[in-house]
Amino acid sequence: MPGADKEADLTERIEAFLADLKRGGCGTGPIRGSGETARETTALLRKVTAQARWSSAGDLMEIIRKEGRRMTAAQPSETTVGNMVLRVLKIIREEYARSRGSSEETDQQESLHKLLTSGGLSEENFRQHFVHLKANVIEAINELLTELEGTTDNIAMQALEHIHSNEVIMTVGRSRTVEAFLKDAARKRKFHVIVAECAPFCQGHEMATNLSKASIETTVIADAAIFAVMSRVNKVIIGTQTVLANGGLRAVNGTHTVALAARHHSTPLIVCAPMFKLSPQVLYGQFLRPHGLVFALTCTILSKVNVHCPVFDYVPPELITLFISNIGGNAPSYIYRLMSELYHPEDHDL
Amino acid sequence: MSSRGGKQKKGNVTSEQEEEEQPLQAVLVADSFNRRFFPISKDQPRALLPLGNVAMIDYTLEFLTSTGVQETFVFCCWMSNKIKDHLLKSKWCRPTSPNVVHIITSDLYRSLGDVLRDVDAKNLVRNDFILVYGDVVSNIDVSQALQEHRHRRKVDKNISVMTMVFKESSPGHKTRCEEDDVIVAMDSKSKRVLHYQKTQGLKKLQFPMNIFQHGSDEFEIRHDLLDCHISICSPQVAELFTDNFDYQTRNDFVRGILVNEEILGNQIHLYVTQDGYGARVSNLQMYDSVSLDMVRRWVYPLTPEANFTDQQGQGCTHSRHNVYRGAEVSLGHGSQMEENVLIGRDTSIGANCHISNSVIGNNCTIGDNVVLDRAHMWNNVHVSSNVEIHQSVVCDGAVVKEAVRLNKQCVLAYNVVIGPNLSLPEGTVVSMHHPEEEEEDDDDEFLSDDQEVGHTFNPAEVGPEGKGYIWKASMNDTEDEELAQCLWAFQLEVLGTLQRGLEENIVCDNLVLEINSLKYAYNITLKEVMQILTRVVLEYPFQQQGTQLTTLQYTGSLLPLLKTWSPVFKNYIKRAQDHLDCLSAVEELFLEQDTHQTAMVKVLMKMYQLEILEEEAILKWFSTGATNDKSRQLRKNQGVSTTYRAYTEQQERHCVGKGIFFSMEGAVRRTSVCGTVRPVQTPGLNTEVFLSSSAPEVYPVVERSRG
Repeated sequence: MPGADKEADLTERIEAFLADLKRGGCGTGPIRGSGETARETTALLRKVTAQARWSSAGDLMEIIRKEGRRMTAAQPSETTVGNMVLRVLKIIREEYARSRGSSEETDQQESLHKLLTSGGLSEENFRQHFVHLKANVIEAINELLTELEGTTDNIAMQALEHIHSNEVIMTVGRSRTVEAFLKDAARKRKFHVIVAECAPFCQGHEMATNLSKASIETTVIADAAIFAVMSRVNKVIIGTQTVLANGGLRAVNGTHTVALAARHHSTPLIVCAPMFKLSPQVLYGQFLRPHGLVFALTCTILSKVNVHCPVFDYVPPELITLFISNIGGNAPSYIYRLMSELYHPEDHDL
Repeated sequence: MSSRGGKQKKGNVTSEQEEEEQPLQAVLVADSFNRRFFPISKDQPRALLPLGNVAMIDYTLEFLTSTGVQETFVFCCWMSNKIKDHLLKSKWCRPTSPNVVHIITSDLYRSLGDVLRDVDAKNLVRNDFILVYGDVVSNIDVSQALQEHRHRRKVDKNISVMTMVFKESSPGHKTRCEEDDVIVAMDSKSKRVLHYQKTQGLKKLQFPMNIFQHGSDEFEIRHDLLDCHISICSPQVAELFTDNFDYQTRNDFVRGILVNEEILGNQIHLYVTQDGYGARVSNLQMYDSVSLDMVRRWVYPLTPEANFTDQQGQGCTHSRHNVYRGAEVSLGHGSQMEENVLIGRDTSIGANCHISNSVIGNNCTIGDNVVLDRAHMWNNVHVSSNVEIHQSVVCDGAVVKEAVRLNKQCVLAYNVVIGPNLSLPEGTVVSMHHPEEEEEDDDDEFLSDDQEVGHTFNPAEVGPEGKGYIWKASMNDTEDEELAQCLWAFQLEVLGTLQRGLEENIVCDNLVLEINSLKYAYNITLKEVMQILTRVVLEYPFQQQGTQLTTLQYTGSLLPLLKTWSPVFKNYIKRAQDHLDCLSAVEELFLEQDTHQTAMVKVLMKMYQLEILEEEAILKWFSTGATNDKSRQLRKNQGVSTTYRAYTEQQERHCVGKGIFFSMEGAVRRTSVCGTVRPVQTPGLNTEVFLSSSAPEVYPVVERSRG
């Protein structure tokens, strides 16, 4: 039975992916970037679409939802997985609507009045069978994959609009997107980058090494020096782990400090975040294990000492000047609009 | 990966490719071969005991899987069926599991050595493998160590047989286990182990000079290492265990390799990691600290909320101050969960409770005004109101009634009922199994009904409504216990040999030969051989004719035996120290058999006459030995009774030495002979530390289950 074979292969792949997610996590410098996770998730969902047994869009959505729930549960802090599941669900909805011949735009228009009057678009409406639906959905997911491939480049392309000659730019920790962004700008302009090291994992050191290899003038500072140095800084450019629905950030520990310092000195704070990091969920901080630095202290008292090592900061939207995503720059107040374009409101809870 | 790349050098490519394609294997020993967790492990094997509401073996398997192990052999002995059931139900045996688990059970395994010999006999491993116990909790990434190991084996042509994984942690750290405290001398550059020794609380340690003389010019002697009990072994390890059938533990193996390094050319290396966590839950104290470390997230990503076992309903949420809550947990009004608390699903907690640093299992009920601190409660535990529990383990199904207080290091084993209105003193162990039923049939799981007839619960110990028996704190130490078992087996063998010798009239020389070969088989020292021999001979009449002998009958049957076997004795008792050791063995036996103490004189006399013992030795022993009241009493007794006999004999022999001997009678002279502390292993019995001089008294190490 080739069908059974395929399904076994599929479950095996999903299990492997789940196991990877559970072990990998993030924080100590993710084993892979969130971009990669997003791509892998999408590719996996494409495989599910292609290989699982389903006859109507409703079935497919149910399957995707089920797998999505498991995937998000495997590593709750990695929001990109959930985001990609939502994107795929949205794609299915759109393709279904297109197959039915109705314009997807009509579904989009949400208003208080409409919410009150309509019973909502229930699952029964997805029962209809369309021959080409599968091909169309896969096609659309492929488009999404291509979009994901190009996100970093798209963001980096906008660098010259934001970074000018002889500016002093501060960043914190290591972000692949910010790194690409700065490197792109460095091809044409000369500027100075100050990197906060982000103890205890010190991802900033790696960032600084990479930047200086690209012959950018780079300085590493301790986290405690952020406020002192801020007065010299023209612009703060940071990456983030997740962009939350209200326009806030869940970013690496220390980002809040930077954001507050920037606000105090009225320095613009720019966040480089690809669209796949936009999440409808609101989550709280993740704690990693306490780090070994404390281990070296007197150990007899250790049983009475609790060591906490939070990995993420919540940065409120008021502190952020601009988001730069692969589709252009947006103010934090506009995030809600992007959210409703990317995800269907009914999917927000998986 | 880089080492794999490095392998592409020259030579036959095909075999190298085969080598590369071989999956990484692991040998997991799901048995501890000791009784540190008794009486809890009487109902459940140690590998299945819950740590943070997950069986310990799951942590080990998760650790192996995350390091990329693709094939694991799980060896079980004690309660192998339970372990098998557990594994078959777990995610490891699903067809999609990246780590294929093979379960191998046998009741014949008695030690790690047996397991590895079986590995060799069955030819299970084809390549380097990871060796762990089923109670290791770790998140160390051993791939680096594995690379180093493979590289060494590539470069040095299979000289390195083992790489041990250590974690750096300074002395006094609480996850350092006292019994596992090691001191290691290593070559700084090659990371080769030169000397490996358990400190066992010693203040003074000796290193052989030769380790500093060869090889490189940089050495490190380290005492800041925590043994994670994770070793990367080459297939030779299993072969070496087969070749040396006296290796029982990894310790034996390491010592054997280091001692025979010159001859066999095998080396052991170590890998020290700074971050990462690795510890073996080797006793209840370790259980306490590892469990807390887990809740404090030192073992990330193996945290309680990760639900890595992938079981339905095991998930929980994590909030500030490391408080984890499972599904359907209810918390009464005014109850506080201070910090580091893990609560399993469907557990309800009453009002005004105060919980800190505790793990509570599934389906527990806890009453009002309960204080829990460092309590480890497993599933289905019922705790009434006004209870206080400090640093204790409460197993499945236990019931703690009103107003009970468990002080530190208490253990309530399965289904025990305690209370009401009782305070258990520190270190109390309560079990539904009667301590004396221990030696009875192990298959008889449900004998509690019959037992209740035989033994009744003591209300003073476990409370008016209590059910359970108090266990005395066990006096066993793992290593000593293993050794003691070994000695016990040896003693039986010696007895058999002598018996046969007597029945078949075997020449004493042949007996010596046989005992010598036994000595090597059981790997015990000459001194122990001699002591056991003495003991066996002296107990022989009891053995043959029952313990109800009168003293006269006893001496009557013993003295001819001594005469028959005197050549055997003479063979073992040669140096002055041997004489003293023999005497102390005699003394020890007669201390136990206090009704026959008068026979001792005759025995000594006979031994003297047969020239087994020298008179100086007897004198020395007499003058120095008395370490406690009992033995002093013994000496006095015997001194008095011998006076007469001795004087007559003295006249017969005109022996000056004898005169000195008995003129001293009654006044036990204390000489200040350099105090050598000498542990005497009494086979099958308690381990006692015995002093052969007037050094301060040393008490036996009482190993009690600490919380």
